[in-house]
Amino acid sequence: MCRTDGNGKSGGSPPDSQPGDEQAMFSALLEDSAEDLYEHAPCGYLSTTLDGRIAKINRTLLDWLGYESSDLVGRRDFSDLLTVGGRLYHETHFGPLLRMQGTISGIALELKTADGDRLPVLVTSIIRTGSDGQPLLIRTTVFDARDRRTYEAELLRARQESDRERERLKRLNATLQKTLLPPTLVDVPGLDVAAYYHVASADEVGGDFYDLFPLASGTWGFFLGDVCGKGAAAAAVTSLARYTLRAAAVYDPDPAAVLANLNTVLNHEYNGQDPRFCTVIFGLLTPDGDEGGFQVTLASGGHPPALLMRSDGHADYLPTPGGQLIGVLPDADIATTSVRLDPGDTLFLHTDGLTEAHSVGADGRYGDEALLEFAQELAPTTARDTVAAIRDLLDTFGTGVDDDTAVLAFNVPRHSSEEQM
Amino acid sequence: MDVRSRNHVRVTGRTGGPIVMLAHGFGCDQNMWRLVVPLLEPDFTVVLFDHVGAGNSDLASWSERRYSTVDGYAEDVLEICHELALGPVTFVGHSVSAMMGVVAATQEPGAFSGLLLLAPSPCFIDDPVSGYRGGFSAADIEELLESLDSNYLGWSRAMAPVITGNPERPELGEELTNSFCRTDPDIARVFARVTFLSDNRESLAHVRVPTLVAQCSRDAIAPPEVGAFVQARIPGSSLITLNATGHCPQLAAPEETAAAIAAFAGAGL
Amino acid sequence: MNHELTVRTRTTPAGPVIELAGVLDHHSAPDVRTVLPHLALSPGQQLVIDLDRLTFCDSTGITVLIAARNHALAAGASVVLTAVPDDVIRTFRLVGLERVFSIQPTSQAAAAAWTRPGPPSE
Repeated sequence: MCRTDGNGKSGGSPPDSQPGDEQAMFSALLEDSAEDLYEHAPCGYLSTTLDGRIAKINRTLLDWLGYESSDLVGRRDFSDLLTVGGRLYHETHFGPLLRMQGTISGIALELKTADGDRLPVLVTSIIRTGSDGQPLLIRTTVFDARDRRTYEAELLRARQESDRERERLKRLNATLQKTLLPPTLVDVPGLDVAAYYHVASADEVGGDFYDLFPLASGTWGFFLGDVCGKGAAAAAVTSLARYTLRAAAVYDPDPAAVLANLNTVLNHEYNGQDPRFCTVIFGLLTPDGDEGGFQVTLASGGHPPALLMRSDGHADYLPTPGGQLIGVLPDADIATTSVRLDPGDTLFLHTDGLTEAHSVGADGRYGDEALLEFAQELAPTTARDTVAAIRDLLDTFGTGVDDDTAVLAFNVPRHSSEEQM
Repeated sequence: MDVRSRNHVRVTGRTGGPIVMLAHGFGCDQNMWRLVVPLLEPDFTVVLFDHVGAGNSDLASWSERRYSTVDGYAEDVLEICHELALGPVTFVGHSVSAMMGVVAATQEPGAFSGLLLLAPSPCFIDDPVSGYRGGFSAADIEELLESLDSNYLGWSRAMAPVITGNPERPELGEELTNSFCRTDPDIARVFARVTFLSDNRESLAHVRVPTLVAQCSRDAIAPPEVGAFVQARIPGSSLITLNATGHCPQLAAPEETAAAIAAFAGAGL
Repeated sequence: MNHELTVRTRTTPAGPVIELAGVLDHHSAPDVRTVLPHLALSPGQQLVIDLDRLTFCDSTGITVLIAARNHALAAGASVVLTAVPDDVIRTFRLVGLERVFSIQPTSQAAAAAWTRPGPPSE
């Protein structure tokens, strides 16, 4: 009861007494009937024998259910008030737990009212024991849970809706991701090619990309890169980078010129507080000689170096030092290098999602050294085997891969006569 | 995963005594037998276990394929018998576990010295064509499955993880929930289907081990005519009706239940 | 996995100092980005980014450092990185950034190296 209650009934209190105490005492006088408190409590009360027969039930619950005491007491079981599903639930869960624990609380059930309606309730029961500890009867309180159930249903609906939205987002991301990658790799005669894209999170589009495409005069262009960041903004840069690289390569296929073009485009498009850059390797593949080799020219803009796995089992990085990331500096330095792939040689490109995966390596990341050792174990190998081995490796990292990873591998197959040796 | 850990097998009681294997039904775990076990321990070797998916069983061993029929559970019962290699056991199966015992005994009668079917039901759903009364309509069972789906062990247990979307943080719901009979809600859903939608009436006629059907006086789940049906179908079986009411006599009347088990399992001596 | 990053800023006569401790990555980069517009930078001052207690920096972290550099250059100020951890130096070398940022061993050294801009003499 509220202190500022102006009904004047506490007006006669002596000035030195606390008005709050006075009112509490007065309220206690009003609440002097335990029976009235029981019968008209704001919750339902129900007592049953141990086997469930209703022994006593208060007015509140009778009113909710639309019964008279004589309909239920001594005639019906508590479980008779439940829906059939609720009764099975009661027999298999509620009852056994109550027996074992002596109490059970917060159970959601539905009661059947006299006119066939259903009343959602929350039920708490305790077993009342005698002075000798023997169980005597079961006391149950019943709370009207209609509003609460409606609210729960609404929460559940909202959650299901959000799950559906998330599913839609994932599908959209997957579709967007696909548009950033070639659907299939073109066939380069005399070259074994394999690629793989590992999606770290279905919730966000990653920024890795690669492509392989024919250019004039029997050469092929390829690139593999990593736009920093994730999500739609990064995907827009990825898309721009991919089409710029393809177009620039047609205009002037020199790898350093292609990357310089991309650098200019990204500098124009993104600067200031929200710089967008990528690291990328662009290369040209030219068939070389009758032995089936390929001449490869690579340009790197700050990208992790390619790995070269030779037919004799040697493996090492193919450094492109001095190359700068693409998109932030007006005159980014671009480093180039050349290598000849002979039969049995494999060239492997990757993004740093692989080397920065959480693992047991030094400083908790997989690292460049571990990848080099991995390649040394693998060599000599083929493009397909390399990519398969990398997929297995990524699988062992599991959730440790927190960034997308793209890999691309080329291999000049050995001559069939060599394979037989 | 070895069978003992998979099913959280516990062997207790008198070494060398007649062997009683207690199998819990749907809704709980081996805790269901806690009032009966002390009464059996002086005279019997008591084997307790949790069905995979219940209690302290190994949840990783659960698969929907294996555990969506009574047969998968029956195989587990036989595997436990083989693993323990104690010789033929008196299998006491409560509720749905009674049917696991029936299936296991038809497959390998030699593993069992007897079957005690406690509050059994071979089929919960009425079959108007044959005149069988299981006590429930298909709609009733669907209602239970729905109520389990939305309300497994009440609001505290089921709704909290559903709404917060945090099944990996079970402590959110755990504090409020009950300390016995924890079951993963997804597994419970499949187990509920096995329990209430299986029809094992055909298997009864193939039982060739001594069988006692023990039903309760007033059982909302397995009515008296179901007990009578089971007894009539299993060749040479007998039927007793306990004074206990409800579906779980091992909790409601542990002394009477233990006495029935002891009389049946000891009779084979 | 700990993605925590602590960002502290303080002001010196030479200009503001941002101290980064922990992991600078996709998750924590926005924490740095949000402090940039609030830095008081005058022409001729220098922005010092102290990486002494940085444990990890990925490509998004590098973007933030570049954003800080762009912010400083736009204000007519310069930018200095101090106490750059070895693996961050390695990443910088890889992407060619070690030539873009001036690097000092400590923030004290950076302050000492700074010369107050005099009145335009020529």
